[in-house]
Amino acid sequence: MTETLFEKIWNSHIVVERENEPSLIYIDRHLIHEVTSPQAFDGLRVNQRNVRRPDLTVATIDHNVPTTDRSLPMIDETSSTQIQTLEKNCKDFGIKLFGINDPNQGIVHVIGPQLGITLPGSTIVCGDSHTSTQGAFGAFAFGIGTSEVEHTLATQTLWLEKPKTFEILATGKRKNSFAITSKDIILSIIKQIGTDGGTGHVLEYRGDAISDLSMEQRMTICNMSIEAGSRAGLIAPDEKTFDYLNNRKYTPKNYDELVDDWKNNLMSDPNSKFDKSFIIDVDKIEPQVSWGTNPAMVSDVTGKIPTPEEFGQNNEIQIESAKKALLYMDLKPDTAIVDIPIDRVFIGSCTNARLEDLKDAAEIVKGKTVNSDVSAMVVPGSQMVKLEAEKLGLDKIFKDANFEWRESGCSMCLGMNPDILKPGERCASTSNRNFEGRQGSGGRTHLVSPVMAAASAIAGHFVDVREWC
Amino acid sequence: MIGNVIKYEQDNIDTDVIIPGTYLKIHDYNELATHAMEGLDPDFPSKVKDGDFIVAGKNFGCGSSREHAPIALSTCGIKAVIATSFARIFYRNSVDGAFLLPIEVDDETYHKIANSDQLEINIEKNEIKNITKNETYAIKPFSEIIAKIIAAGGLFKYKK
Repeated sequence: MTETLFEKIWNSHIVVERENEPSLIYIDRHLIHEVTSPQAFDGLRVNQRNVRRPDLTVATIDHNVPTTDRSLPMIDETSSTQIQTLEKNCKDFGIKLFGINDPNQGIVHVIGPQLGITLPGSTIVCGDSHTSTQGAFGAFAFGIGTSEVEHTLATQTLWLEKPKTFEILATGKRKNSFAITSKDIILSIIKQIGTDGGTGHVLEYRGDAISDLSMEQRMTICNMSIEAGSRAGLIAPDEKTFDYLNNRKYTPKNYDELVDDWKNNLMSDPNSKFDKSFIIDVDKIEPQVSWGTNPAMVSDVTGKIPTPEEFGQNNEIQIESAKKALLYMDLKPDTAIVDIPIDRVFIGSCTNARLEDLKDAAEIVKGKTVNSDVSAMVVPGSQMVKLEAEKLGLDKIFKDANFEWRESGCSMCLGMNPDILKPGERCASTSNRNFEGRQGSGGRTHLVSPVMAAASAIAGHFVDVREWC
Repeated sequence: MIGNVIKYEQDNIDTDVIIPGTYLKIHDYNELATHAMEGLDPDFPSKVKDGDFIVAGKNFGCGSSREHAPIALSTCGIKAVIATSFARIFYRNSVDGAFLLPIEVDDETYHKIANSDQLEINIEKNEIKNITKNETYAIKPFSEIIAKIIAAGGLFKYKK
C-alpha cells in the first residue's frame, strides 16, 4: 500500500490507535515560549506532575522582548513578569532556555532549524500556530493550545485526530527568481484556496518549483500554511535539507546514519493518494500585495484594489467582508496597488526574517535612502541571524539607508511589545497576518515579500520590484 | 443549555480580534475577559450575559494558537459558539479546556438564527431549538473523538 510522507511520519509515531478514538501520538520535540506556556506550568504544579522529557523540550523568549537595547531594564511590567515566569518555570522543571541575553535567542521557529533541533521525520509542537514553518524540513510540525502544551509537558504525547492530506503541486519556473519569492507563491496559493482551504489537512508542497527553493524560502511557504487553515505544511527533505542541518549546534552525532535513513524513507510513495490536490504554475506569479484584512485578500502588484462585488463573486458574506476590509484599510476600489502610499515598513517575523531575507532586502536598499515620509525597521529573526548579517555588513547598509536595525524577536508582527503601528498607519510588512489590529489597534497591514518591502520603503509607496533588479 | 444569541454576520473572525495580542501578557482570566472581542466589538464585555451564545460564519477562530481566545469568551459567560466552520486550533482549545462548545451548523441555519434569539442547544439530540422563532435546526454531530473529550470534561479528564 502506498503512503504519503505525512502518513509515514504519523504511522511511525503512533503510541495508541483504536477505531473511533483519537490517536495517541509521540512528540519528538516540544518548543515553548513565554506567552502560551504559563498556565500549562500552573497546571503541572496544581496536579503535582513533572515534565516527562525536559531533554526534548526547549524554550525561548520571543513574543514580548523589546527589540531595543536589552541592557536597559524593561519598561513593560506585565511583559517582564511573563518573561520571569518562563525563566522560573524552566529552572524549576529543568528545561533548556535560550533567554533574553542568550546568543541563541530568537523567534522559536527560526532558532529550531538554526540549532538543528528541527529534524526530518520528527513530530514537533509548540504553543504557536506558526510551528508549521518547520514542516519545510519534512517534519510534522504544528501549533497547539495551552492545554495541549500542558499535556505534552506531562506525557510527551498528544491525543490527535488524524488530519487528511492535501497535495500542492507547484510547477514551472519563476520568471524572476529574485523579485518573485516564495512569499509570493504562498500568498498566491492562499488567494486561490482561501483562508479555510486547508482546514483539517496537512499540505504537502511538491514539484520542481518547490525543489528549486532554498531551505529558508521553503520555511516561508510552510510558515503560512496555517493562514490557509491547514494543520501543517510539509516538504519532503532533500540534499538542501540535509546540508542545512549538518553541523548545527544540536545536530545528532549519528547524523550521516540518519540522513541515509531519511533518504530512503521520507518521501511520498509514487502514486500515493492525497485527499485533495491543487496545482499552481509559478510561471504566472507576480509580486503580491495584500489589500484587505485576511491573507486571501491579495492582489498582483500590477493590479488594482477590487470592488467588493469583484472580490465576493455573488457571495453576500464575502462582499460584506470586502466592504468592511476596505473601510478598515481606508482604500477605494480601482486604486492601483502601486499608488498606495505607506507610512511604515517592517522587515521581520518568523515568515521572513532569516539571513537570505535580509540579504535580498539589503541588495535592494544598498546605496539608497528610505523615503522621508516612511519609518522603516529591520528585526532579525534571531540573534544568530543578526550576528551573521552584521558579519556581512548588512546592518550598515540598512542603517545608512535610514532603516532601524533591531534586536531579534516577534516584534511588530503581532503587537505584543512596544513595536506597534499607531492607529491609521499603513505598513508594508513581511509578516504573516493582516488581521484588523494585528500590528496595533487601528494599524493597517499589507503583506509583502522582503524585497517588495525594501523597495516600497525607498519609494514611499508600493512598487513593482521587478523593475528594480 | 439555554441562552441568547449575539450574532456577527462575518466569516474569518480571527483570534486577534477575539483577544488582541497586547493582552496576551495578562495572566488573570477575569482581566482578560474585559478585553474579549475588543478588536471587533468593544461593547461586547458589557453586553454579554452569562449563558449567551455567539453565532458567526465560517472559519471562526482562525489565526493564532492562543488559548486566551476561548478563555476570554468563556470567562465572559459565552457557553457556545455556533458557526458554519471553525479553525482547528480554536476548536480543539475550546474542547480541550472545556471552555465552551464549538457547534457547527449549515449555512441555512446560520442565516435563520437572528441576533437576540433565544436558543436551546441539545448536544445529545444534535439539535438547536430556536425558542423565539419556534424552529428546530440540526447540529453537525461532533466526531466520536471530540464527543468523548467533551463528555469527559476536557483533555486531562479524558482517560484511557
